[in-house]
Amino acid sequence: MNRKKDKGFESPRPFKLTHQVVCINNINFQRKSVIGYVELTIFPTVVNLNRIKLNSKQCRIYRVRVNELEAPFIYNDPTLEVCHHESKQRNLNYFSSAYTAAVSAVDPDAGHGELVIKVPSELWKQGDDLKVLKVYIEFSLDQPKGGLHFVVPDVEGSMAERGAHVFSFGYQNSTRFWFPCVDSYSELCTWKLEFTVDASMVAVSCGDLVETIYTHDMRKKTFHYVLPIPTAAPNISLAVGPFEILVDPYMHEVTHFCLPQLLPLLKHSMSYLHEIFEFYEEILTCRYPYSCFKTVFVDEAYVQVSSYASMSIFSTNLLHSAMIIDQTPQTRRCLAQALAQQFFGCFISRMSWADEWVLKGISGYIYGLYLKKTFGVNEYRHWIKGELDKIVDYELKMGGVLLHPTFSGGKEKDNPTPHLHFSIKHPHTLSWEYYKMFQCKAHLVMRLIENRISMEFMLQVFNKLLSLASTASSQKYQSHMWSQMLLSTHAFLKSISNVSGKDIGPLIKQWVDQSGVVKFFGSFAFNRKRNVLELEIRQDYTSSGTQKYVGPIKVTVQELDGSFNHTLQIEENSLKHDIPCHSKSRRNKKKKIPLMNGEEVDMDLSAMDADSPLLWIRIDPDMSILRKVEFEQADFMWQYQLRYERDVVAQEEAISALEKFPTPASRLALTDILEQEQCFYKVRMQACFCLARIANAMVSTWQGPPAMKSLFTRMFCCKSCPNIVKTNNFINFQSYFLQKTMPVAMALLRDVQNLCPKDVLNFILDLIKYNDNRKNKFSDNYYRAELIEALTNSLTPAISINNEVRTVDNLNADVRLILEEITRFLNMEKLLPSFRNTITVSCLRAIRQLQKNGHIPSDPSLFKSYAQYGHFVDVRIAALEALVDYTRVERSATELQWLLVMVQNDPAHYVRHKILGMLCKNPPFTKTTDSALCNEALVDQLWKLMNSGTSHDWRLRCDAVNLYYTLFGLTRPSCLPLPELGLVLNLKEKKAVLNPTIKPELGVRIFTCPHSTQLRPAPPFNTMEDEDIDMETVHDSQAFIHHHLNLLERPSTPGKYSLQLWLFSGKEPPSVEQTMLTMPSTPAPSFSKETTSLSSKHSSEHSHHHHHHHHEHKKKKKKHKHKHKHKHKHESKDKEKERERDNSHVYSNSPASGRSLRSPSLSD
Amino acid sequence: NITRAVMSCGQFRNSKAASSPAENYHLARRRTLQVAVSALLTECGFESAEKAAVETLTEMMQSYITEIGRCAKAYCEHTARSIPTLPDTVVALIEMGFNVDTLPVYAKRSQRMVITAPPVTNSPVTPKALSAGQKRTHPAHIPSHFPEFPDPHTYIKTPIEPVHNPFLRDVERALTRFMAKTGETQSLFKDDITAFPLIAARPSTIPYLSALLPSELELQTLEETDSSEQDDQTDSENTTGNIINDDPGADKENSMLPPSGGVPSTKASEDNVIDNPYLRPVKKPKVRRKK
Repeated sequence: MNRKKDKGFESPRPFKLTHQVVCINNINFQRKSVIGYVELTIFPTVVNLNRIKLNSKQCRIYRVRVNELEAPFIYNDPTLEVCHHESKQRNLNYFSSAYTAAVSAVDPDAGHGELVIKVPSELWKQGDDLKVLKVYIEFSLDQPKGGLHFVVPDVEGSMAERGAHVFSFGYQNSTRFWFPCVDSYSELCTWKLEFTVDASMVAVSCGDLVETIYTHDMRKKTFHYVLPIPTAAPNISLAVGPFEILVDPYMHEVTHFCLPQLLPLLKHSMSYLHEIFEFYEEILTCRYPYSCFKTVFVDEAYVQVSSYASMSIFSTNLLHSAMIIDQTPQTRRCLAQALAQQFFGCFISRMSWADEWVLKGISGYIYGLYLKKTFGVNEYRHWIKGELDKIVDYELKMGGVLLHPTFSGGKEKDNPTPHLHFSIKHPHTLSWEYYKMFQCKAHLVMRLIENRISMEFMLQVFNKLLSLASTASSQKYQSHMWSQMLLSTHAFLKSISNVSGKDIGPLIKQWVDQSGVVKFFGSFAFNRKRNVLELEIRQDYTSSGTQKYVGPIKVTVQELDGSFNHTLQIEENSLKHDIPCHSKSRRNKKKKIPLMNGEEVDMDLSAMDADSPLLWIRIDPDMSILRKVEFEQADFMWQYQLRYERDVVAQEEAISALEKFPTPASRLALTDILEQEQCFYKVRMQACFCLARIANAMVSTWQGPPAMKSLFTRMFCCKSCPNIVKTNNFINFQSYFLQKTMPVAMALLRDVQNLCPKDVLNFILDLIKYNDNRKNKFSDNYYRAELIEALTNSLTPAISINNEVRTVDNLNADVRLILEEITRFLNMEKLLPSFRNTITVSCLRAIRQLQKNGHIPSDPSLFKSYAQYGHFVDVRIAALEALVDYTRVERSATELQWLLVMVQNDPAHYVRHKILGMLCKNPPFTKTTDSALCNEALVDQLWKLMNSGTSHDWRLRCDAVNLYYTLFGLTRPSCLPLPELGLVLNLKEKKAVLNPTIKPELGVRIFTCPHSTQLRPAPPFNTMEDEDIDMETVHDSQAFIHHHLNLLERPSTPGKYSLQLWLFSGKEPPSVEQTMLTMPSTPAPSFSKETTSLSSKHSSEHSHHHHHHHHEHKKKKKKHKHKHKHKHKHESKDKEKERERDNSHVYSNSPASGRSLRSPSLSD
Repeated sequence: NITRAVMSCGQFRNSKAASSPAENYHLARRRTLQVAVSALLTECGFESAEKAAVETLTEMMQSYITEIGRCAKAYCEHTARSIPTLPDTVVALIEMGFNVDTLPVYAKRSQRMVITAPPVTNSPVTPKALSAGQKRTHPAHIPSHFPEFPDPHTYIKTPIEPVHNPFLRDVERALTRFMAKTGETQSLFKDDITAFPLIAARPSTIPYLSALLPSELELQTLEETDSSEQDDQTDSENTTGNIINDDPGADKENSMLPPSGGVPSTKASEDNVIDNPYLRPVKKPKVRRKK
């Protein structure tokens, strides 16, 4: 994982995959099952390759053959149940380390896998000449919960008529869920893919479709795909359905697929894809790497966009007609993202997880360039500011995001991110939010690199990487060139230094090797005597998520004589910086003031301080540091900045700052900006909300009509009758967005009684009443949805007398009007549904707000009906959001249960993920609050959910972990009873002591004393052959536990019972080498050497699902020189294994089930 | 009668100026009729006749013939047929007081004059009925020689014209209230469930269709506001196997594979074909593959 100095790639496997065949010859939509086989062509890289580890999850494996010889195999997936179900442990620290260990144990990047195949001994001797092995695996999938998603609408007709389809999905490397493979981004091979599907269906997959052939009965056809470009298994995908096909009219190699009846939308939505192609090919001066490209739009998509080699799978909800304004830029963005990832992510793959940031960074960066070109510099800078704010907020709240983690030896103290409740060692243990922020930071860092070395060099580097990869991709495997298609941090940095000749080491060290952002506080004073600006920049680098910045910083000072850039050095101890001013404070009345962009403008300077020539000051205006700046300057300076600074970022900063200055001058500045048509529309939209807040703060002194009302009237209402809005005409998008936003902001206005002013409400009701879209070219669904949101915003808490029951009779008159509109909108939507049901979504939010404010009875039943499967996904999410809120406000255990049941059972993965996400954002209780909802049953339920209930979906499991963390924190949930008894086992001193202080909250390795069944005999095994497998090779944690059990043999306290041992890692200094151990309340029994070894063996067999990865174990091993020493180097291990194999290993050859007999899922 | 004939003459003259095919046809017929009247007059021994008199007689003749036709048609329709037969005409003649038995003798009279056929024979082109919407193609089980489906609006749905209605909101409210009354509802209040009735949310089997496809009304608005922009009708329900590719510039060839996919369409063999693997015909299985 370290950034290696040599650029060559070392495979963690004793073999190299060169080619893989995937053949799925039956897809049954009725049963939701899949049958097929794979054939992997591998070159051993060691002599006597005797076992092959592959990845496979949830597949049922029928047989495995190596070069036509039947081969025994075992299948063991430790992630199915992370902690053994009988364990009473309920603290998250324990779970997280066990989960990390489980994921590590099958991590393909470390050469591991769930499926271990023993190479038949007849083939061993081939080892000397390293001949090709062909591994053939027959498998099936029955009702897969992950990897493949079946959408089968429950209507009449054939599967094709019903629009049934299936597609692959997953987060990061998840291909193992649907066929056995080496599920690593760094193991490239060429592919042959065959899919036999119903004749009415189309199978879309990676590579070139070479031919389509009917089966003999002519009822099915087989799609033959060939992918000659070496590709990693996680980049392989499949979509099968009765798709309508659209060949791109501009690029015939590009084919689009959508579900039946959506073709007109597909035509419109895809009509600009060629522009994105042209853009990327032009800036990268490189052809699109694959010979074809396919886009498939599916229902119930896992994510909006997912890119695979030569194809991308999108959510069907991105399709839209020409009438829809708001969706258009979003869909274009999604397409641009997908295409950027085709180059970096699919064609060029990552060398290891630690290099992920480079690929995400580059694809995000070139996507940003596309945004800049298509949507303009303002939009781009607005986006960059938004992304920067997001990452800064996240890191300051949650702690740092580390782009390039280095792990040395897996020791606890080296954990690079101790502030997180999950490990960042694997993509599969990350929280989704963290991963999103990771991607965000990655592209921002790429932009920083661009700032440093120029865009020209940046693009040259990308071009170089692509041409290298492109050359390598056309080579044969034997040339050993394929690793050129893998990108590592080292190779990337080397390329940058070669191309630009610049050293970006410090930049990388600061932002890539280190987590955290910079927090600046700035203030200034003007020294009139010296005509000097005394700037003070302080930093907070002690709070969580922050880091210290040392280096240059740009400061722009707008003076009367012009705008001047200054580069200051931020150093250890200097806070103050003197900046000489150019202008004298005596201002020349007639002179125009030059701006940064060369423009010269007239300003009314009466507001400014007569003694100072300073108009405004900006710190780091180019956003070339990942920072948050809190800068203090006078209100008039912010106002000047808002009015005259041309950079949208500066304008937005000024707007945020002006909220603190509710004065008529601020009001005027904001109103002027609102009216200025040249001003970027998003700045104007932001100004609306700021104006509403300022108006509320100035409520007692406010003069004239409510804020924005006269402006709206002037812009959008009839001249003759100002309360009637003009017929909708959205041809000018800027004014459309403003027209949508202003009522929403106006509704936030409050009068002295803290109510929405009557005339504002009436005004909004009139807008609804006179809304007329008949002559409009565009749909007004988003506009109407915003009007409903405006109604929602106007709501204030009902005056409640003695908590009376809410009835129709005591309904407030205004609320009655609002409710009338909402009822009509919601009912009309049933007859004439709006695009993406935006109206329903807004209505549901409004109803929840009415409930929350006590106008109507709080009741979850309406939301429950809209949350059901079968409603449009946006509607469901809105209803679920309301339910989550209801659960929190009403502390309803019933609704919480209802939601959790849906998390487990809902067919749509996205909905499950969203429920958990929303519960985390708006939790029913938290670790710091007490709640009746927090009880043992809930702890058990959630524990089960993350422990075994979500093993089919990495993302969902991490969501469950997040929720558990939000509700209970890292240590034992407070609602659980205190452990009765515990025993501290001091491994260092080989002593077991009765736990002196049980302090579970500290996260000490605590051990709840379980019931006496702990001392059960080893579970019975049906096949004794199975037992004799060298467990060490199955995965790390087993070896580790085995190892520790052997440690126990050595102490002088022998006993006759097997000890169940829980080992876990905490965060204490490593000197406290304590582990608590369960013990029956009987005195410590004595061991006899013989029984111990036997029972410990059983114990190890039994507990091998625990996978506690003790970070100290390496150190220990050296001390005790155990024969089951586990090292990551294969060479040293191989001999040992050979020795052991001779006496013990008979492999299971049972074709019955793909699952190991000891698989916990069977014991459930 | 005379005044009528004169008036009709006037109309006749007026309409001379116009020259649409239908009018030409009428003119030619009238001229033939005039020739016939003149022949009859000659037969009866007249040597000359005033133009106005001939015109009047022609008018009477035309009225008489028209009446026979109308009457015959009425009899025919009375018996639920659409095309009149000889007996219909006979009954019509009898009804008009004509002795039918004298007709064969009269027809075979010796001094009968033969008139040449009228020069213009092409019948007027009836203007085509305005077709609305896209006609449905035959499903696979109906042979192609069968008649086409009629316009969809005649038997599926008729596009509605949005009428400007100042009381639209009231109508909407009344409509939704009606819907709410007739169907299942949900209520926001427990004390009075009729207060703000909400039409019950009903899950649909394919929710994305109604959420993504523009409604008929919206489509129409789009057509009206921008007729230059060709947009596709959404009601073209393609059979699932249909493969259609876009053709905005008309420079590219549209190729269509039949739903069964077996035979490439004739169009595809023309020039300028897009070579896309998904448009290629599906191959027949090889006779023998290794078993």
